[in-house]
Amino acid sequence: MRLKASCPLILPFLVLATLPLAVQAQSTTTPNAQVIVPKVERREVPLPRIPSKDIEVGVFGGVYGSQNFGSSFVGGLRLGYHITEDFFVEGSYGQTKVSDKTFRDIFPGGGVFPSETETLKYYNVSAGYNVLPGEVFFGRNVAKASAFYLLGGVGSTDFNHQKKQTFNIGFGLRLLMSDRVAVRLDARDHIFTLDLLSKPVSTQNLELSAGVSYFF
Amino acid sequence: MSSERLKLAIGLLAACLIGAALPAAADDTPTVEQVQVTDPYIEMHTGPGRGFPVFFVAERREWISIELRHTDWYKVRTAGGQVGWVQRSQLASTLTAAGSVKTFRDVAFDDYLQRKLEMGAAWGRFKSEPMIKLFAAYRLGEGLRAEGTLGQVQGVFSGTDFWHLNLSSEPWADQRLSPYLSVGLGKFKNLPNTSLVGALPTDSNLANAALGLRWHLSERFVLRADYSIYTAFVSDGKTGEYRALSAGVSFFF
Repeated sequence: MRLKASCPLILPFLVLATLPLAVQAQSTTTPNAQVIVPKVERREVPLPRIPSKDIEVGVFGGVYGSQNFGSSFVGGLRLGYHITEDFFVEGSYGQTKVSDKTFRDIFPGGGVFPSETETLKYYNVSAGYNVLPGEVFFGRNVAKASAFYLLGGVGSTDFNHQKKQTFNIGFGLRLLMSDRVAVRLDARDHIFTLDLLSKPVSTQNLELSAGVSYFF
Repeated sequence: MSSERLKLAIGLLAACLIGAALPAAADDTPTVEQVQVTDPYIEMHTGPGRGFPVFFVAERREWISIELRHTDWYKVRTAGGQVGWVQRSQLASTLTAAGSVKTFRDVAFDDYLQRKLEMGAAWGRFKSEPMIKLFAAYRLGEGLRAEGTLGQVQGVFSGTDFWHLNLSSEPWADQRLSPYLSVGLGKFKNLPNTSLVGALPTDSNLANAALGLRWHLSERFVLRADYSIYTAFVSDGKTGEYRALSAGVSFFF
């Protein structure tokens, strides 16, 4: 009697009750299908480009005093790379003209070179160590970064159609006038063996120079 | 008169071009990277060195822009306009403006295994005469390097210049101490000393093979020692063989 009244209601309920079972039966057939597919785009993060100033190019000029042939003006180029705040490496190229005029004046016909003046070219690669970095002060208001450094290296001196292995040792002062420009004062001793004057002799040739360099 | 005007015009044009180029070279902040400090604080020094005094401290989450790098030091500018130098280790982990974490050690200073260009010098004995070498190496791939060497031997009777291009293989390149094998070709130039009578300079091709050991001293410096065999092809059917031993140091760019 009561059931008869609620019969039409029970039927939809039974249909609804069996629906989840039907759905589940359907989902078990495709167990690996992803329900949600994420749509996140990988963002390209640009790497920062930071300008750097490790490489140094410069020109220098000064005096080159060769042991046997007097002193002469020297000029040249430098290329350096700063590895850490303490160490750097540098390549130099210099050129000067030496003259054996003294020998020709003292001993007639006693010229050592084929002609009176000979071009001396040297190039070397040196490693340097900034021993005393710091700041120097000009007057009251201006402070500039500076470094006193020691250098040593090897290279070659091309002189009178001969190439001689040269060691060089020296020190210098670098003054950074701005972020990119530096003024340098250098003193170097170039040591090589010369056998022009009848027997091989180790010569020490001192060079004093000043220069300007640019960092990039 | 027209040629004078032409010269003046060319001179002015050249000056304009140089003037336009110079500011571009001097301007070193084209697009500046903004990063956010993640360490509790970073110390800003007055100059790029550990001896320079600390004059300002920027705190966490402050925005800084990095303007220049010199060796391991970065010149930064805070949002308030303070400009100072910070060491790389203090900027090791930062947040970029995009919000993602980027370790500076990976970005600015790659792992030494990834470094491409290396340069160095070595000193040794070439058949009991002193020898110096300068070399540059380029990393072609994992454990493979192309190397160019310039060398000089200073003997009592003659000096020898040589150069050679090598391919070197380092099977265990990721170890701190690693051996390598290298083969190459080049040229010898022998210059006898002028005090010898009737001596002529001789040029010859060379081939060399070397076995060496590299020791990665620190992030940027590597020590090496090697033993090489040089074969000089003096003329048809005549070759000279020389042994050389050297030790040197190199650095990564």
